[in-house]
Amino acid sequence: MHSFSYVDARTITRAINLLGTERDRAKIISGGTDLLDELKEGLVKPERLVNIKANPALKYIRFDAAAGLQLGALATLTEVENDPNVRQHYPVLAQTIGVIASPQLRNVATVGGNLCQRPRCWYYRNDALFCKRKGGPICYSVAGENTYHAILGGHECYIVHPSDLAPPLLALGAKVTIAGPQGRRTIPLKDFFIGPEVNITRENVLAQNELVTEVSVPVPPAGTRGVYLKVRDRQTWDFATVTAAAVLTMEGGVCRRAGIALGAVAPIPWHSPEAEKVLTGTRITAEVAAQAAEAALAGAKPMTQNGYKVPLAKNLLRRAILQAAGLAA
Amino acid sequence: MAKKKTIYEVDGVFHEAVVEVPANEPQAWGPDASMAVLGKPMPRVDGPDKVSGRAKYTYDINLPRMLWAKVLRSPHAHARIVSIDTSRAEALPGVKAVLTHKNAPDMAWPFHGQDGKLFNTTLRYSGEEVAVVAAVDEQIAADALELIAVEYEEMPFVLNPEKALESDAPKVRGESNLQGRTSVYSRGDVEKGLAEADFVVEQTFHSQVQVHACLEAHVSVAQWSGDKLIVWDSTQAVHPVREQLAQVLSIPIGKVRVICQYSGGGFGSKLWLNKHTVIAALLARQTGRPVKIAFDREEEAMTMGNRPSNVMTVKAGCKRDGTLTALYLKSVGGVGAYPAGAGCGTPLREIYACPNVKTEESNVFIHADQARPHRAPGHVQGTFALEQVIDMLAEKCGMDPLEFRRKNYSSVDQTRNNIPYSAKGLDRCYSEGAAKFGWGERAGRRQQASQRAKKRGYGMATQIWGGGGGPPGYAIVKINFDGTANVLCGAQDIGTATRTSFLQVAAEELGMKPEQVTLAMGDTETCPYGPGSGGSRTVPSMAPAVRMAAADAKRQMLDLASRVMKLPAERLEAREGFIFDKENPSTRSPIRDITGKMRTEWESPQSQIIGQGFRGPNPDGVALNTWGAQFAEVEVDTETGEIRVLRIVAAHESGRIINPLTATSQIEGGVIQGIGFALFEQRVLNNATGRMVNANLRDYKLPSARDIPEIESVLVDIPDTKANSVAVKGLGEPPIIPTAAAIANAVYDAIGVRLTEAPMTPDRVLRALGKAPPARVRARGAPATTRPWEVVHA
Repeated sequence: MHSFSYVDARTITRAINLLGTERDRAKIISGGTDLLDELKEGLVKPERLVNIKANPALKYIRFDAAAGLQLGALATLTEVENDPNVRQHYPVLAQTIGVIASPQLRNVATVGGNLCQRPRCWYYRNDALFCKRKGGPICYSVAGENTYHAILGGHECYIVHPSDLAPPLLALGAKVTIAGPQGRRTIPLKDFFIGPEVNITRENVLAQNELVTEVSVPVPPAGTRGVYLKVRDRQTWDFATVTAAAVLTMEGGVCRRAGIALGAVAPIPWHSPEAEKVLTGTRITAEVAAQAAEAALAGAKPMTQNGYKVPLAKNLLRRAILQAAGLAA
Repeated sequence: MAKKKTIYEVDGVFHEAVVEVPANEPQAWGPDASMAVLGKPMPRVDGPDKVSGRAKYTYDINLPRMLWAKVLRSPHAHARIVSIDTSRAEALPGVKAVLTHKNAPDMAWPFHGQDGKLFNTTLRYSGEEVAVVAAVDEQIAADALELIAVEYEEMPFVLNPEKALESDAPKVRGESNLQGRTSVYSRGDVEKGLAEADFVVEQTFHSQVQVHACLEAHVSVAQWSGDKLIVWDSTQAVHPVREQLAQVLSIPIGKVRVICQYSGGGFGSKLWLNKHTVIAALLARQTGRPVKIAFDREEEAMTMGNRPSNVMTVKAGCKRDGTLTALYLKSVGGVGAYPAGAGCGTPLREIYACPNVKTEESNVFIHADQARPHRAPGHVQGTFALEQVIDMLAEKCGMDPLEFRRKNYSSVDQTRNNIPYSAKGLDRCYSEGAAKFGWGERAGRRQQASQRAKKRGYGMATQIWGGGGGPPGYAIVKINFDGTANVLCGAQDIGTATRTSFLQVAAEELGMKPEQVTLAMGDTETCPYGPGSGGSRTVPSMAPAVRMAAADAKRQMLDLASRVMKLPAERLEAREGFIFDKENPSTRSPIRDITGKMRTEWESPQSQIIGQGFRGPNPDGVALNTWGAQFAEVEVDTETGEIRVLRIVAAHESGRIINPLTATSQIEGGVIQGIGFALFEQRVLNNATGRMVNANLRDYKLPSARDIPEIESVLVDIPDTKANSVAVKGLGEPPIIPTAAAIANAVYDAIGVRLTEAPMTPDRVLRALGKAPPARVRARGAPATTRPWEVVHA
């Protein structure tokens, strides 16, 4: 491991200055559950770690009946999971956090870190392989072992985004606030993530000297129910094979508003307006749920070994929709 | 002293040895023997040390002035070292020595076949040793590795065993990738047997490469004191490692001491001397300082062995009434780049009565890490294939799978001239396991529990294994003046609680309470010779030696007692800390009151009583085997492909149960590792480079606590009095053997399609159900020469 300096950033401005403008020369550390792996595995070699945990102003969970939920970037997953307002108004978030990693990891992992984690693609994670995501010439998954790789949104790189928090947040219509040298901006979470066709070495829009400060979630209308389903090899401490998030606002069996997203199927958390369109204004039945799932996966292009992910994602999404609609699946 | 020839088995291989016949071997403890300590649940004697952190594992050994060594490994699956420049590494402050093929002794490596060297210049797998740095700390050693400049000439490689047999495949060593010759076994006429059958089934199965994933990775610490070498090694075999070290270093055995007090798992990967241990000794000699070399998780997975993959085609036939007429197996196993065993035919040859049997097993070199024995080598995958085929035949006959197995029960070893088994409790494993599981009630439960997408299923499988043990093995028992005893015995405790089991054996024979006895093992300097702990042989090999030593010491103690108590020695017996008159048990004396007189009552005063024992021959004319049956209940989600194991009942017969508590632990550990094989674990090599891409515990998936179902152990306790004086056989490997097969049969019962590839992952379940397209490039089937940039993504 290379030596680096470790600097506390007690304010956002200080963090921005410390990050500098040269890509990856400095890295933000908060929970460190991902960054420490990357350091030890030799994937990143920063000269400086910018410790934003030193800034208590980023650690909060606020709820307001009008403004909704605001999660400071440094709120830990455990804190969010156990927050009474989250459990009451956004139970799908608490449910989601319950299937992330392990309790020990959730105690230190943060909301901001979860959204900004790097891919777990086993080629990207292997320091001996210089793949496209690392700026190299090859995506090894194309001719290699791609059982866990992308079926949607791949473009010369077929990682899947590892965040479990992102799909339900997308389905809930969350926004993310970013701080940078020019001040703060708030954008829809769906615009935060970028695919390899935009930039093959990054997963989001953050510039080197920008950081996520907050995630905000609007108040769900009455009659809203969210479901997050995760298929993984093991029952704990495992990244997903496929996940499905469905947040439906129901009124007498008819869906008034739908939020649909999939995880672990694409290089970004996969928001599906196509599925939402099928569901919105429609009476939810098993058939409609299946149509929505078909719509979500219509563009799927499986690789050599991951064709199973298409039916798996369809089945899982159909199940999530039916459960969110209060129908037995 | 009388000598005789005897036969003993290790991991399915029979060995012959001439051994002394014990003059004073105690009579075997039979089923009716009244026991004070044996057969009682006793917590591990070293449990408090382990849970409190007092136990020093090899990794915990830190010595003054100790250096850390790190290994530079080949990034290529097949390459020649053209040049190597270590000057920059040597110049790094803190680096004390760098070893490569250029300056290391030109040492042959006995475990790599005829042309193996300590440092090879032709590298045959990704991860093979290129250079080693010793430095004042681990970080400097790691940094120095990056300063070593190596020029490689890359060469074509092959990773798939079936592809490796094709004529144009790159060669791993020599002219052919076939290791030796295809091993052929035949009895009767398999073609005739198939022709006579009313039903014939044929199926090909694939099993994966499973790495051992010991939670304690390999680690050695070497220290020289003059011409004497002390090595702390994480090993399953202190005495074999000692002899092998002496051999490769050309120093006397007596000058080498190997110590392993506690072990965080071996599972067969630590059965012999490793290169890094020799390298640590060489670096320690060169620098005059102790050297530690400890593997990280990636090195452990990439270089320290594995259960080889097998492609197994089974063809079998039976009569309408279920009588087997033919069993045939063709197997191709990939041993890696250096010689190893990859056979898997023993269960098929031995479990069931069948007159016509043939097996053809090929071991194939590939450019990957050398296979090693992995808990029940060959049997796990061989049983996965065989026991599914047995279920297929049972279904054809319309028979209950358990009835079909009972119908083809064999009471003799058909592979060894039909000699009888010394004992065979498989019938009781069947009946007691089935009763505990509720096998008879499963049809109703299946219907009741299955929901729309989630299907319930029930399956079972049979286990055979050796585990009879044998010579050599030695023990010494010392009775002290104050009525306590020390046992010194060969072998080591690899986490299986042998330390506790042997203490129980010694206490039982000595008539002492367990707390009066202290036992030492795992140290070649203080303890006599014992075998490596492999093949489930530690307890059946060593327990009789411990008992004999204790009996030898007890004879002397009773002689002393007869003088003190003025009674003939034949009338005296020791039990639970007292010596008593068998004819009048109320006449008794605490052992310490007797031993306290050893300096006064004998003509030649003694300060310690010393008893010796050794392992005598195995019985003639019988086969020594262990038996078991496991029953599995699973739920399969037909929409997601997920398999949940809900329950395993594991019934095993391994002779006498010395300690039901630790025996149950063995069964649970085996079942959990079996679930790992069945559902999760598989080594994945990148076909472009040959490098393992899941060499970490995130991507190489061991079962987590929530993946482990309720495991109910049934201990079928049948003292095998023909086997040895303790009437015991091994239990280390048996419980992993039938788990995957039982789960596979349960999955079929649930969803009506067969999973023929292990591990049975969701993608394979969905494919088997016809819900997902087949994989276009098989996981292990991609041509090794394929380069990603030559392939157009569809």
